[in-house]
Amino acid sequence: MSDEKSVLLNRHLPGELAACLRAGGVDPEGAWLSADTDLNLQGGYEQVFLLALEDRILTAAMPGGEWTSPVRILLRRQDIREVRTRQGVGGGFLEALADGVYVEVLAYSNARADVFHKVARKLQDWLTGQPVRTGPEDDVNPRKCAKCGMALEFKGDVCRRCVDRGAVMARVLRLMRPYTGSAVFLMVLVLAAIGLALVPQWLVKLLIDRVLAPEQAGNAALQPGQATWWLLALVGGLTGVRVLESVVGVIKYRLAALVGSQVSFDMRQRVFNHLTRLAVDYYDRYNVGQLMSRVVTDTEQMRGFVNQLCFGLLAQLFQVVVVGFLLFALSWKLALLALLPAPLVVLAAMFFWRYIYPRYYRVWDANSKLSGTLNTILSGIRVVKAFGQEGREHKRFDGSSGYVRDSFRDVEYTVGTFNPSIGFLFQIGGLIIWFVGGQWVLRDKMGLEAPGQAPFTLGLLMQLLGYLGLFYGPLGHLTQLTNWLTQFLTATQRTFEILDTPPQIVEAPDPVRFRPKGGIVFDNVKFGYHRYEPVVKGISFHVAPGEHIGVVGKSGSGKTTLINLLARFYDVDEGLILIDGVDIRQMGLTDLRAAVGIVLQEPFLFRGTIFSNLTYGRRDATAEQVLAAAKAANAHDFIMRHPLGYDTYIGERGAGLSGGERQRISIARALLYDPRILVFDEATSNVDTESEQLIQEAMVRVTAGRTTIVIAHRLSTLKNSDRIVVIDEGRLVEQGSHEDLMARDGLYAKLVRIQTELSREPSVDALAGGKTREAAE
Amino acid sequence: MTNAPNTPEAHGDPQAPSPDQTQLRYLLPDVCRVHLGSHGALHVTVRDERIYGGVYAAYAFPVAHPDKYVSLIYSAGSGPDVEIGVIRDLDEFPPEQARLVREALGRRYFVHVITAIRHVGWKYGFVAIDVDTNKGPASFLIRWQHDRAVDYGRKGKVLIDVDQNRYLIPDLDQLPSSQKAQFQRYIYW
Repeated sequence: MSDEKSVLLNRHLPGELAACLRAGGVDPEGAWLSADTDLNLQGGYEQVFLLALEDRILTAAMPGGEWTSPVRILLRRQDIREVRTRQGVGGGFLEALADGVYVEVLAYSNARADVFHKVARKLQDWLTGQPVRTGPEDDVNPRKCAKCGMALEFKGDVCRRCVDRGAVMARVLRLMRPYTGSAVFLMVLVLAAIGLALVPQWLVKLLIDRVLAPEQAGNAALQPGQATWWLLALVGGLTGVRVLESVVGVIKYRLAALVGSQVSFDMRQRVFNHLTRLAVDYYDRYNVGQLMSRVVTDTEQMRGFVNQLCFGLLAQLFQVVVVGFLLFALSWKLALLALLPAPLVVLAAMFFWRYIYPRYYRVWDANSKLSGTLNTILSGIRVVKAFGQEGREHKRFDGSSGYVRDSFRDVEYTVGTFNPSIGFLFQIGGLIIWFVGGQWVLRDKMGLEAPGQAPFTLGLLMQLLGYLGLFYGPLGHLTQLTNWLTQFLTATQRTFEILDTPPQIVEAPDPVRFRPKGGIVFDNVKFGYHRYEPVVKGISFHVAPGEHIGVVGKSGSGKTTLINLLARFYDVDEGLILIDGVDIRQMGLTDLRAAVGIVLQEPFLFRGTIFSNLTYGRRDATAEQVLAAAKAANAHDFIMRHPLGYDTYIGERGAGLSGGERQRISIARALLYDPRILVFDEATSNVDTESEQLIQEAMVRVTAGRTTIVIAHRLSTLKNSDRIVVIDEGRLVEQGSHEDLMARDGLYAKLVRIQTELSREPSVDALAGGKTREAAE
Repeated sequence: MTNAPNTPEAHGDPQAPSPDQTQLRYLLPDVCRVHLGSHGALHVTVRDERIYGGVYAAYAFPVAHPDKYVSLIYSAGSGPDVEIGVIRDLDEFPPEQARLVREALGRRYFVHVITAIRHVGWKYGFVAIDVDTNKGPASFLIRWQHDRAVDYGRKGKVLIDVDQNRYLIPDLDQLPSSQKAQFQRYIYW
């Protein structure tokens, strides 16, 4: 049955199990498909094999426990009518319809779901006598990383395990390349700032050992005038250093702001540009909030990187290294003693970031929940009062408020204990220097220093103490370095993930360029948004150029999905969609989108003037063309009632206009686009009767001479259709004129009758020919 | 219901009425029998009605009433699945029948129940969790997002890993405080 074998669907049975099967009269070598699942039908982990032979399917596992035979389930092909998968919770089942009953053939966890969706399709083809082929293409699972097998969130997602973090950093640095000069200058300034921070301690040493207490350092006492000059020079030096520090600081801040914000800007631009190229499928996977966070927040990490380099952890790292070196250079013995508590400080800081800092998460969560609770209660205050539930809401609010109190208290208690304790640790190094260094100063003052050794002076002691502060200050923060680096790399990787996500809808390398006439063919189209749920299950029909088609069906039957596929917001899983005989995947995307104009149920208008919204798809439209389109769409009159006419500014999502007005603008917008195929997707569902009438009038005008597909719940909208297609559960169940379908008395007739009963609208009654009303009477 | 060859059937009197889908019907042992039928599929026989084959069970309140209000449903082919009725309390049924229903529930709800948390850490930008479960030790990764660790009742959590597998902690307060603290360091919501 298969000329090539896939690894995924042709798993080798363990020798022992194969031998057991052979002993039982089953030749596993005769299987054209064998797949293994991780669960048995009792819900426990067990490797169970499914074998499909020419005339039967069976499941097999090693005998044991209650099982004396390796065969668990055996179904003959002639007894099976259908094979399908059914989703459970955390897993699913492969089921066969045998003897009129859906039998659970095997169970699988979600990790194996994709395999058994493929298996079900192949078994179904086998049952219906269609050619079945299993090959290496079955081994490709777009939802698993090809390299490590880790599950991906969606097709084409970036594997986080395989991402090269070193490469991420290299990529970040590459992004900085246009600013190499500025970055190098920044680094020089960072080093200069660190160097300048060290100078005051040295000047203080001179001040003490030369001017204030020269004798203890073995220096000759200065004359009063001379001392004043020394004093002036050293204080002047200190002042100069502070001024220079400030100047370097100003330049450093300004340059960092310049480079950081520009790098972030570049990143935002790249990410946004790429987002607009990604298919609608991508936006199904991520909610708008997440994507906004990536564009707005994650790209800001680039600025954070520059800041950390100049003022944050990276600058502090330099400082610790330089100061540590100096401490050892001045007195390695004292430096060693002074740094004894350093490991304790590092450990304490690690403890803080690991165990105490996460408690702040709970505080944020508590605040967020309190806001949410308050928002819900206040927004729904009418309902609360109407049902007399004020007491209950008091309790709910008290609960949320108490959670904030408790989480704050927990953090504050912990931090209140931790900070003073860690503060003491910080002091230990200084105390050691005071004690040991102080002893050395006293010893040397009494002339007891070792022969040939330079005296340990009071100035040196003060200098060491100053440097110690510069060393311990950043040390605690440096324990955050890996934390920050992880956060930075993760956030940066998230933005790179967007940049690396290939657009799912790609234009053919050599697209067919033409202006379509509007003939459409759906040929056995199959599609599902999620792996478990096919929405369109093999739909075929054609639409002649200029024909008006109505599409009817219950909610969730797959009507809108057909339009999404026609516009190539998604690609079909199987089958073809042709426009004028050309597969839409071979058409240029611009040509395709120019050929298909869509009026959605929820017309989306952008912030801007009515004119800019009307010309959204065609920026070169003239005022005359805009007026004509608006007039045809019955939008002109209400636009003119606004004092600023077409220059009226409308808010976000068309705020300031009624639903019907927004819809008529969207029709005019589609009309200006001048598509050969016009689609109305529930365009009159959310408007009042008067608006519906105006929109329907407009539809008659704008659809003249164009292929038109109208999806409608309100069947009265379809009265101008040449043909009506009825979709149910993803399948085309009926098609024909209104009269044909009513005469057939199928699903369409049923829907018409239901609407007539519910709405009693004259238009629907008229559509039903008044028969139902008469019958009711 | 007609017994067309390519549609699932309900055995018994073909003229017998189907369950009224506008009314909730409680199934009681005196009118309903749960048993295994052809190919070991779960069947339900409703007295004076028919035998329903290929039945599966679903909880109405999996958290609040895990042993009560169990819906028995059968697949009616291409149309939506049909609820035969609701068992108010499984203990009302003979033990053997209750066992069959519980087994069906166990098959439908493939959930690992976490009994101990060994380690929670950060790996590849995911929260990596090592646990003991009722099905044995397990290690899995979840995205650090609120919708990957959702509330289960007032004190529990359901964790959904990158493969969409589910891990249940019925009551966080039942975990030793060190394990709970370790868990809440990451799953703080």
